[in-house]
Amino acid sequence: MSFWIRRLASIALAVGGCFLIDWFAKENLKDFIVRLVVLAALYITLAVSLNLINGITGQFSIGHAAFYQVGAYAAGLATVTFYKSQPLGLALWIPLMMLVGGVTASVAGLVVGLPSLRLRGDYLAIVTLGFGEIIRIVTQNLKVVGAASGMAVEPKMSTPMIWLAWLLAITSIAVCRNLLQTAHGLGFLAVREDEIASSAMGVNVTRTKVAAFVLGSAFAGMAGGFLAHYEGFLIPTMFTMDVSFIILTMVVLGGSGSVTGSVIAAILLSTLPEFLRDIQQISMAGLVAAAISIIAGVVAVRYVSQHVHTPSTRRIAYPGAIIGSIILTVVLSKVLAFIPTLANASTDGSRIRLVIFAVTLVVLMLVRPQGLLGHREFGWGSLRRSEA
Amino acid sequence: MMLSVRGIEVYYGAIHALKSVSLEVEQGEIVSIIGANGAGKSTLLRTISGLLKPRTGEIEFRGKRIDGIAADEIVRLGISHSPEGRRIFTNMSVQENLQLGAFIRHDKEIDQDQEKVMERFPRLRERIKQNSGTLSGGEQQMLAIGRALMSRPSLLLLDEPSLGLAPNLVTEIFSIVLELNKEGTTILLVEQNAHRALEVAHRAYVLETGTMVLSDTGKALLANPKVKEAYLGG
Amino acid sequence: MAVDHLFAAGVNFGSLPAQVVNGILIGSLYALIALGYTMVYGVLRLINFAHGEVYMLGAYTALFVSWLIYGNQVAPVHTFWWALPTMLLASMTVSALVGVILERFAYRPLRNEPRIASLITAIGLSLLLQFGGQLFLPVAPPPNINAKVNPYSDSMTFYLKPPAKPLADKASSLEAEATATEKAYNEALSGVPSGEEPGPTVTALRNNYFEARNAYEEAKGAAANSGVSVTIPKGQLIMFVVTMFLMAILRHLVMFTKQGRAMRAVSHDFDSASLMGINVNSTVTFTFILGSALAGAGAMMSATFISGVKIDTFYGLLPGVKAFVAAVLGGIGNIPGAVLGGLLMGVAESLVIWVGWGDYKDAVAFLILIGVLMFRPGGLLGSAKVEKV
Repeated sequence: MSFWIRRLASIALAVGGCFLIDWFAKENLKDFIVRLVVLAALYITLAVSLNLINGITGQFSIGHAAFYQVGAYAAGLATVTFYKSQPLGLALWIPLMMLVGGVTASVAGLVVGLPSLRLRGDYLAIVTLGFGEIIRIVTQNLKVVGAASGMAVEPKMSTPMIWLAWLLAITSIAVCRNLLQTAHGLGFLAVREDEIASSAMGVNVTRTKVAAFVLGSAFAGMAGGFLAHYEGFLIPTMFTMDVSFIILTMVVLGGSGSVTGSVIAAILLSTLPEFLRDIQQISMAGLVAAAISIIAGVVAVRYVSQHVHTPSTRRIAYPGAIIGSIILTVVLSKVLAFIPTLANASTDGSRIRLVIFAVTLVVLMLVRPQGLLGHREFGWGSLRRSEA
Repeated sequence: MMLSVRGIEVYYGAIHALKSVSLEVEQGEIVSIIGANGAGKSTLLRTISGLLKPRTGEIEFRGKRIDGIAADEIVRLGISHSPEGRRIFTNMSVQENLQLGAFIRHDKEIDQDQEKVMERFPRLRERIKQNSGTLSGGEQQMLAIGRALMSRPSLLLLDEPSLGLAPNLVTEIFSIVLELNKEGTTILLVEQNAHRALEVAHRAYVLETGTMVLSDTGKALLANPKVKEAYLGG
Repeated sequence: MAVDHLFAAGVNFGSLPAQVVNGILIGSLYALIALGYTMVYGVLRLINFAHGEVYMLGAYTALFVSWLIYGNQVAPVHTFWWALPTMLLASMTVSALVGVILERFAYRPLRNEPRIASLITAIGLSLLLQFGGQLFLPVAPPPNINAKVNPYSDSMTFYLKPPAKPLADKASSLEAEATATEKAYNEALSGVPSGEEPGPTVTALRNNYFEARNAYEEAKGAAANSGVSVTIPKGQLIMFVVTMFLMAILRHLVMFTKQGRAMRAVSHDFDSASLMGINVNSTVTFTFILGSALAGAGAMMSATFISGVKIDTFYGLLPGVKAFVAAVLGGIGNIPGAVLGGLLMGVAESLVIWVGWGDYKDAVAFLILIGVLMFRPGGLLGSAKVEKV
């Protein structure tokens, strides 16, 4: 009995929280920030759902934007085709269309999941990437969805339905976390660790892998369905390989397999680089200084992890390297500013946005391949444990 | 002293595989190391040949420290290692395998040595152009030994040369080991077939879960009741 | 004859041989890039996603060197014999250097980590060079090299079946008329003082000329369609010959030299190779040098001889992806497989354009890839073994 009370209470809390975010954001935040709040929710959904495929089940997929796109286009097309008679209010219609997007994307997930039965590792990665590109090229040429010039989704939501985006994000988190606490969920982890052993233990490897793809792509599709009605316009360039790589970076940064890691990384990486868009002039001297400092930091951390075995020294290595790199960046950028060619050149923030993702991937692999949280979860339980 | 290993500690990640292991090999000897599966015999050979690095301890070969030197450099110093499981290059012909054995050499006598190997192992001559993946287990073992000889080593490390071979082939392999030794090659032999290994050895060591527990002449160990019970089937 | 009958059936079949030849020429370029993927995969079991960017940097090098040599001038033909090889060598050197740096500082530290870590790093490096490169490299800087070496953009036409005699005669007579009217028009035009509107006579002459030219073009097209011809741009022929030459050198290096044998040993088994006295690190470096230099050569030639693609930091993306598909198609890790895969890839792409699905030609590469991986995961010449991470 108390189980159900607790469950209902947490659901009520989650839904209430979503509306609270919605209310707070609309009352207090600028449009630009509201947009970030929405995007963060979408990226959380995308990262958590990719994590289910990549991190938890161990099927290396790098074409997640394809499912996002399939969901967006399916939902958009359905609205354009069927909403003329206005059968429902938008507040009901859009969630329904998100379901349409989710179902369509999960069919695509099924199609991509099938090769995963035969392929592993890098080969599967390539197939998922290829599938993503095929989807993009086909939509680029498909007249029904506006081909390369894009498709307007009418009607779009009049004000951003922030609560809906966050409800989706929280649902995806809850599904993944609760899944891991069931016997079926442990099957996903078992498949990641050792397919043969897990099939010997009675895990249906085939069904588990395909289920991961179907479930993961369904959430991505729902996020796409939301995006279609949030933006009111869809164009194939919204779903290039870059988007897949951004989602991948989030999963890798958070730690493959860690749901909370994905959430934290998705929030960080979807919001922080956006602030760069507004910065018109970033000096080349600063950029070069940052590049040199990052390299120095990586070298330092690697040196410590390989040659220093004292735990106390190792514990200060990461913060030391980060602080050291920041100090070095500041100092070097002042020094490099004496070089006229570097001091006078500048670039705008939007151009280094994707560079940040690339650097994150490479640096992370070199200093901490398991990601921020590794396989661990961050939660109240772990806090309590660390206090004890 | 040709080879001396002094108190090496080797770890595989968190697993402590060799615990303060010491060992000596004199010029011209056959030294056997016997021990059960997983005792660390192969780990010891892999550490001597440079594939693994000891965390502490020293390995000296002809008076030169070799622990911490890369495996390919150690080959050049005169140690040749025929690894566990043969590990021949199955994507290449028998001849190419032999030539790779002589990779470090630049002299004109490589072909002569290849001829010698084929005299010793006539079956390799028949299959010289054949892909080495098509060889039988015994032939692959002969190729692995022949390949190791091609670098003209002064010390030959043999890891389980009799593994998985029919009894008559085992006899053949051990007679070749003796023959090689008579011709001047020092041999460090790792074997599960303790009886044979002790028969051919001048001296031998017993390795148990990463620790050297016994060392004596081959004959003495053959007669040792503990060894008899544990390794020679009573 | 039966073949004649087929060719006569429609315009399409007449252009088939040309498309196949075109596909082989482009395919040889894919093959050259695919070799780098396949060799690196062979030794490290790593898909070097950044290989396309190594190629991109090769193209930039060619562009930069051509600018050093010629500035913004159109290049005089008599300097080609030394200028083009200089560009080729420069591109190969720079690409090789980039490949070695990537291996040394990004892939080598991760060699003992799970393979997925190297793969993610490769993806990261690829993005880093694409987007980071944008900060430092000019995007589509004019002028393109292929405009400078334009004598090589001429093409040669071979007739498998000559055009019908009456059509050809008609075309040549119309050509004479077109030339004459053009001359008349130009003369009249040069008589008009600059800044003034040309008078009605000049306009009439111009209309004459345009009419004659259109008639000629039409007749020429009809004549060409009645025959079966293959047209090869000179530059692409040079590209093909150089490519084949480089591949022959590679084959010799890999199969018959000590370094090549070491490479094959390392690709089989790191430990056993080092027990032979082979320095694994330097052999891996050697592999990256070879693969990257080939990509650099391909980049220089495509930047020089293939027009219509602007040079930016994404220059290597599509060729890289297609070459990768080619490598998988042939059986990744397998050197002859990469060549076969590249040629097939090129021909398949031309055929897709030939049947009129040109918009989908990039998707076809991936369709082939997925098909191959589903039904023959080892590729055409590879073993059927599926890799486990």
